[in-house]
Amino acid sequence: MAHFEIKDLSFSYPAAHGRKALSHVDLSIEKGEYITVCGKSGSGKTTLLRHLKSVLAPHGEMTGEIIFAGQPLAEVSLREQSSKIGYVMQNPDNQIVTDKVWHELAFGLESLGMEQKTIRLRVAEMASYFGIQGWFHKNVAELSGGQKQLLNLASIMAMQPTVLILDEPTSQLDPIAAADFLNTVRKINLELGTTVIITEHRLEDIFHAADRVVVMDGGRIIACDEPRRVGDFLKKDGNEMFAAMPSPVQIYYGVENELQCPLTVREGRNWLSELFAGRQISSPAIKREQVREEDLIGTPAILMKEVWFRYEKDAPDVLKGVDLSVPQGTIFAMVGGNGTGKSTMLKSICHICRPYRGQILIDGKRVEKYRADELFRRNLAMLPQDPQSLFVKKTVREDLAEMLPADCADKEERIARVAQICQIDELLDSHPYDLSGGEQQRAALAKVLLTEPRILLLDEPTKGLDNFFKLTFAQILKNLQKEGVTILMVSHDVEFCAKYADLVGMFFDGGVITTNRPDKFFSQNSFYTTAANRMSRHIFDNAITNEDVIELCRMNR
Amino acid sequence: MRFDSYHPLINLIYFAAAISCSIAFNHPLFVLLSFVCALICAFSLRGSRALLVLLALLPLMALYTWWYSFYNHFGVTALGENFAGNSITAEALFYGASLSLRAGAVALFISCLLAVFTADKVVYLFGRLSPKLSLFIAILLRSAPRTLAYARRISVSQQGIGRGPGQGSLPARFVNALRLCSVLITWTLENFLESSLSMRSRGYSLRGRTAFSLYRFDNRDRSLVVVIFALLITILAGAALDQTHIYYDPRIIMMPVTALSFVFYAAYGLFLLLPVIIRIICARRFAAAAA
Repeated sequence: MAHFEIKDLSFSYPAAHGRKALSHVDLSIEKGEYITVCGKSGSGKTTLLRHLKSVLAPHGEMTGEIIFAGQPLAEVSLREQSSKIGYVMQNPDNQIVTDKVWHELAFGLESLGMEQKTIRLRVAEMASYFGIQGWFHKNVAELSGGQKQLLNLASIMAMQPTVLILDEPTSQLDPIAAADFLNTVRKINLELGTTVIITEHRLEDIFHAADRVVVMDGGRIIACDEPRRVGDFLKKDGNEMFAAMPSPVQIYYGVENELQCPLTVREGRNWLSELFAGRQISSPAIKREQVREEDLIGTPAILMKEVWFRYEKDAPDVLKGVDLSVPQGTIFAMVGGNGTGKSTMLKSICHICRPYRGQILIDGKRVEKYRADELFRRNLAMLPQDPQSLFVKKTVREDLAEMLPADCADKEERIARVAQICQIDELLDSHPYDLSGGEQQRAALAKVLLTEPRILLLDEPTKGLDNFFKLTFAQILKNLQKEGVTILMVSHDVEFCAKYADLVGMFFDGGVITTNRPDKFFSQNSFYTTAANRMSRHIFDNAITNEDVIELCRMNR
Repeated sequence: MRFDSYHPLINLIYFAAAISCSIAFNHPLFVLLSFVCALICAFSLRGSRALLVLLALLPLMALYTWWYSFYNHFGVTALGENFAGNSITAEALFYGASLSLRAGAVALFISCLLAVFTADKVVYLFGRLSPKLSLFIAILLRSAPRTLAYARRISVSQQGIGRGPGQGSLPARFVNALRLCSVLITWTLENFLESSLSMRSRGYSLRGRTAFSLYRFDNRDRSLVVVIFALLITILAGAALDQTHIYYDPRIIMMPVTALSFVFYAAYGLFLLLPVIIRIICARRFAAAAA
């Protein structure tokens, strides 16, 4: 018997004027299956998932039927749905209800009216299984994002659901926490047999693990099959979704061959070895134009000289002698782990954090010599990690207008221009909070661009973006660069930095460890590098992006 | 085991009894006992921070005593006259002193109570009354610091584009600060919507909610309850025998002190010092076990 059976489900939102958010969806999910749902934002993934739990189902016009364990979902009692259908949402913070970790674990069980003894056992069991013992007594405010999301998962698992639905659970997490979280989900699926239905934009970590992959487009299911066949289908279909496939899959289809498609880096390495078995590699490296030193001479846009900073008098130092030079007109990416002080570095450049030793020069002038209006008008601007915190008005348009002086004559034109650059023309009249993560990011960028910055600081710009938005976003950055804007971004996103940055730096323990061109930088590293590089380093010297590997494969055939 | 590791109900009984006894008893010895024991407890529970409380309290208490004797003229033992020509009496002076000592003792006990009652215990105790109410407090305890943290985040974000509440001209700063408040409200409402979805999704609206807590009522707690009630009954017997009361008006009249009186004194002192005694016994036991 199928666990979930969705029969001819169509749905439209009340304000959509008949445009269907879901149209004729048919899907049958077996007990214990691991299903990955992917698709561009706005393709109806979340709408579909929400229909699988009655209290979360959006209001609107629905036709069709959903059957849960042999019974129409609408007839399954609230009590049973609460416990049997677990639902993890995107934002780790908003799902947590209480102030203590242990209380959060017990929340669902309290709702079900269980007695002390049973709850005590369940909570203990969950804390042990998820490795929460160490922070069991903590306030939730003290937890990291990854811990919060793990807590959400644990507190749902405490109710012993038979199916676990996850809606982009890792979009707010850094890559290491995200991989941890997805591994735990995988473990639950394998060890407990819980059915898993997950949407994710970080397909690298789950594509290979899925039993079936469902691809959605415009509210329809266009493919539903095992991962390899889905890759094959998307390639043949010429579908945009192909850009979201993991690196090994993309590289595989870039090179003509008859072998089986690799899904993981390990399989990819073996695939490459097999591809070049017994063959001489004539050109193992891509020749790149050397950046001429003289191009980089001249006043750097940002120069930091041994900058030291700590938040409080007795707190440990966060920046410990940062030396950094960002040449004019470059895209500079700073990579590094969580809590190493990357964001603090950006804040100190904006003069939000004031260093107690060292100097920061913007265009050769010390940052504290600028007046605030000089510094932030036609000069410097920072896009924060959480784009939502920039919005202060009811519509995007008002929010943008707010950035311009009231007597500005060409207000409308400038808004239109910046909206076009950031591709948000259609979103101007929406409430900023109603936009998806990627749309918010672009609207926030538009707002920041209205200060006409020549130096743009970006804090984790690709967090929560799916692969298409990343392409769009990169294009926007490249265009800005052409106009002479210097961009400094801090990011966890190794793949993005490798592809689009001119210079990459590694930040660790309050300082910049090394700075180099991306190809040199990433081909030196063996852990902290792109999937394409990890997959090909035993054969090629300096391939860091999928395109590099494909090109080298073609050159050597 | 420290006193605050006992069950919250025991903490509650102790403080309720200690505070009401301190208020009710006006026998000089009991008043003195209340104040001194409260002071010892405060030092034992809060360490050197109790000293600050004491330093703030003493001048206030002295001032109150002086003020009381200055404006109240009951009693028969005149000590002198104030500038208005009214007599200052020993009875009023003593009564004023006893009032301020009692108030001081209550303040000290409350400072101990604040140290012992963490948010967890408050949530638990309300949970005994109504699970929904305690959940409400737990949510409040989470959302208040969270909102503040977000306010800081917005402020930093706005500073990054030159629109922070501390940037620009004075009117601009005012507008920036106002804007921050308004967006904070939107944000709070928006997030609460999502939180409420998460709550409903986990069966919040089901009937028959229970309140879980980590506290257990075990034999250690039971034995302490027995001790507390034995002492309290003795003290109440003392109160019934008029041992805890004296008259200040028109003159100081107190019951004769007998051998039995000392039993009541001892019981009261012992009761008030329970947290300290428990602490000493535990430290001893731990040292013995570790040796």
